Amino acid sequence: MKFGSYKVKLEKKVNLTGWQAAMISILAIIFALVLVSFIFLHAGVNPLVGYKEIFSYGFANAFGLPLTINKSIFILLCTFAFIVPMRAGLWNIGMAGQLYAGALGAFAVAFAFGAKGSQSIDLSPGIVIPLMLVGASLGGAASGAIAGFTKGRFNTNEIVVTMMINFITFWLVAHMIKEGGPFMGSGGEGEGFKLPPSIQAPIINNVPFTILIALGLAGLLYFLFAKTKIGYQIKAYGLCPAAAKYAGISPFKIPLLVFVIGGLIAGLAGYHYFAAVPGVFKITKNYGDFGDLAFYGIICGLISQNNPLAAIPIALLFGGLTNGGRFVQGKLNLGFGIDYALLGVLMITLVAFQFFFRYKIVWKKIEKEKL
Amino acid sequence: MILKDIKRGDTVLEARGITKRFPGVVANDHIDFGIKAGEIHAILGENGAGKTTLMKILFGLVQPDEGEIYVHGEKVNFRSPLDAIHFGIGMVHQNRKLIPAHTVIENIILGHPKSGNILNLKRTGEEITELCDKYGFNIDLKAKVWQLSEGEKQVVEILKALYRGAKILILDEPTSALAPPETKKLLASIKIMTGDELAIIPFITHKLPIVLTVSERVTVLRRGKVTARLKTADATESNLAKEMVGREVIFRLERVEVGKGKPILQVENLSALNDKRVLALKGVSFSVHEGEIFGIAGVSGNGQQVLAEVLAGLRKAVGGKVLTDGINITHYTSLERWQKGIGYIPSERIDVGSIGDFSLVDNVFMNYYFDDEFSKWGIIDSKKIRKLTKEIISEYAVAAPSSDITAKSLSGGNLQKLILARVLSRKPRLIIANLPTQGLDVGATEFVQNKLMEAKKERAGILLISEDLDEILSLSDRVAPIYEGEFMGILPGEQATRENVGAMMAGLK
Repeated sequence: MKFGSYKVKLEKKVNLTGWQAAMISILAIIFALVLVSFIFLHAGVNPLVGYKEIFSYGFANAFGLPLTINKSIFILLCTFAFIVPMRAGLWNIGMAGQLYAGALGAFAVAFAFGAKGSQSIDLSPGIVIPLMLVGASLGGAASGAIAGFTKGRFNTNEIVVTMMINFITFWLVAHMIKEGGPFMGSGGEGEGFKLPPSIQAPIINNVPFTILIALGLAGLLYFLFAKTKIGYQIKAYGLCPAAAKYAGISPFKIPLLVFVIGGLIAGLAGYHYFAAVPGVFKITKNYGDFGDLAFYGIICGLISQNNPLAAIPIALLFGGLTNGGRFVQGKLNLGFGIDYALLGVLMITLVAFQFFFRYKIVWKKIEKEKL
Repeated sequence: MILKDIKRGDTVLEARGITKRFPGVVANDHIDFGIKAGEIHAILGENGAGKTTLMKILFGLVQPDEGEIYVHGEKVNFRSPLDAIHFGIGMVHQNRKLIPAHTVIENIILGHPKSGNILNLKRTGEEITELCDKYGFNIDLKAKVWQLSEGEKQVVEILKALYRGAKILILDEPTSALAPPETKKLLASIKIMTGDELAIIPFITHKLPIVLTVSERVTVLRRGKVTARLKTADATESNLAKEMVGREVIFRLERVEVGKGKPILQVENLSALNDKRVLALKGVSFSVHEGEIFGIAGVSGNGQQVLAEVLAGLRKAVGGKVLTDGINITHYTSLERWQKGIGYIPSERIDVGSIGDFSLVDNVFMNYYFDDEFSKWGIIDSKKIRKLTKEIISEYAVAAPSSDITAKSLSGGNLQKLILARVLSRKPRLIIANLPTQGLDVGATEFVQNKLMEAKKERAGILLISEDLDEILSLSDRVAPIYEGEFMGILPGEQATRENVGAMMAGLK
């Protein structure tokens, strides 16, 4: 293509350093913010004011920041639940169902200890909380295992299976917490029973201990894929199933394993939101919203290029923007949906800018005599 | 179309000083050559010699950095293949670019300017039939492309170019996927075509006999440069090979006799299905002994691929037994077979034998990850595997700048060396080598064959599956021609000749 006396050409990038990838992502974010400022202008708000409010509430406010972190932990866990199967070339669209199953697993443990009965029951947190984590893990893992098993054994499409399980689990939760279901709370308002204070998750500065689980998992997963035999087998299967089979890697075990791990992590996300975030401690009426929020895990996974460490800042950004966007909407009397618009535009630009991961644009001045 | 009034002997295409540089390599270094109407001008060279780049430049797919192209004396500047087609240049790619679900005729007129929006298949059919009759092609125009053999698909590609009015035809490795009888037919048609003042440029890797039988002139390329320009009449197989490889090449391997030991592999009445769930392997029985190369000769698609996969544990048997050292391994997984000392060299180098996006280290690890020696508590001992990769690369002379580059950046020959090295370094007792030299140039072929011979000397049993009759005959101690999933017999090496094995490959007992 020619622009005046310049020739513009696309060239394939040979390799991409982590720094370049980070720079491209930052440019994409700036570009998205510029685009969304038109929405602010349209609504009669100075974009600089709008962004200042969003970022200061999302990342620098004593009330806002813990909310951001709690949302980010949730998104981060969902991202891991997406990344692990993705490394094996499989799409986990079932984080929602898996986190519902995890929440059910966790509350089933609490239920078994009689937590539904009274708010003043004195249970030992040292026993019940770890067991609730185990319950959440098992619930999520079992939900994931179905997709992994059918993929490995019958080669079903994992996207369809995980998607369908989302619906099943959604209604299973409704059955459990609504209209006389076993986990129904005493208020009878269609939500689950509230955990008694004795087994509510330990919280420091409004952030529950699950942050340690999320950050620990980031390191663990990074190590898994970089250094271990299992990680190697998952990657080999993901890049080329036929070659993996040739090398003796089981085409049954790998899908099962990645969906069990992915489901397990999503189950922990369910524990985090419903049993550990301050002020919640129950399966809420609007639990479906958190299923929807889980889908940000897909976007974070794609943007971070399946790198669990790179997912941390991205999940934090998304958490902060949902939070700040929601806040600014109320504060500046903006129309409904500004937070979704911001996230939507951000997603599109981040994905579109991935083009620059693979290509670079080369400008060349055309010599005079050739013009 | 400026190529209407050409006479035999006119120079129709001329390239002067064609130079193309890619990062780190000069693919074409001042290449000159001319081609005349009514002549077959072969271009010979190993993989990576710059043939493909040159061809892409002539067809307008790639623009040269320097140099000029003249068509019938007029300087041309191809910006895209459309320009090249406009000047009467046609191209038949090595990888078929046809639509399998469409008929022959539909494929031929696809994208043809004359076809318009409403197809007149009858008129077109008549015109194409005319072309077929003229050049001796025999093809059912109503057949779907997926039903055709490789040779017939090649014919469709040629017809497509001719129907577009090509007067200069570029054929990229025209015989690489064809069985001997199909090759013969194709070459005969090509000869007829040149009688019609067509200029033909076949690009040929290393099939020297074909160059000698079919072409009038040869240009040999090596590392982007023209190393020889000769009349075929003055060329011999050995001087062409020397120009191409840059050193003397020995054509016949000396078969080494090793005392035949006890049987390692026994196969009894083995049957299996192919991907279409059709019985493709119909009860074969044989054994492979220590220090023996057992050759299976056959045109591809006769069940040898299925056999190799069953033996490697990648496909289930539907009947019969496989034993190694007397133990029934019919139901073993591929991993258990690797651990029992069976090494499989697959015919699909990319996507089965290697993972393109993995580094060379990770590719070597494919056959080692399950060894306890290379990991502790499930954590990979990367130093050890790195060291092994370096040893393999230097011992097998794999041309790679580092062991961290991806496998897809290796050339076909180097990739095969890496796969071979990886499998052989495990010292397997039984080696299944499936088309180990297919598509390799002379140097790499020689190397692979020597390594197999060395393994035999170390008393491994080798099952060699090949379509190359010369390879089978020169390497094998026993030969089993396979046809439609059955062995047509098992011949001792000394009794196997080109004639009787060739006949058995075609289904005669």
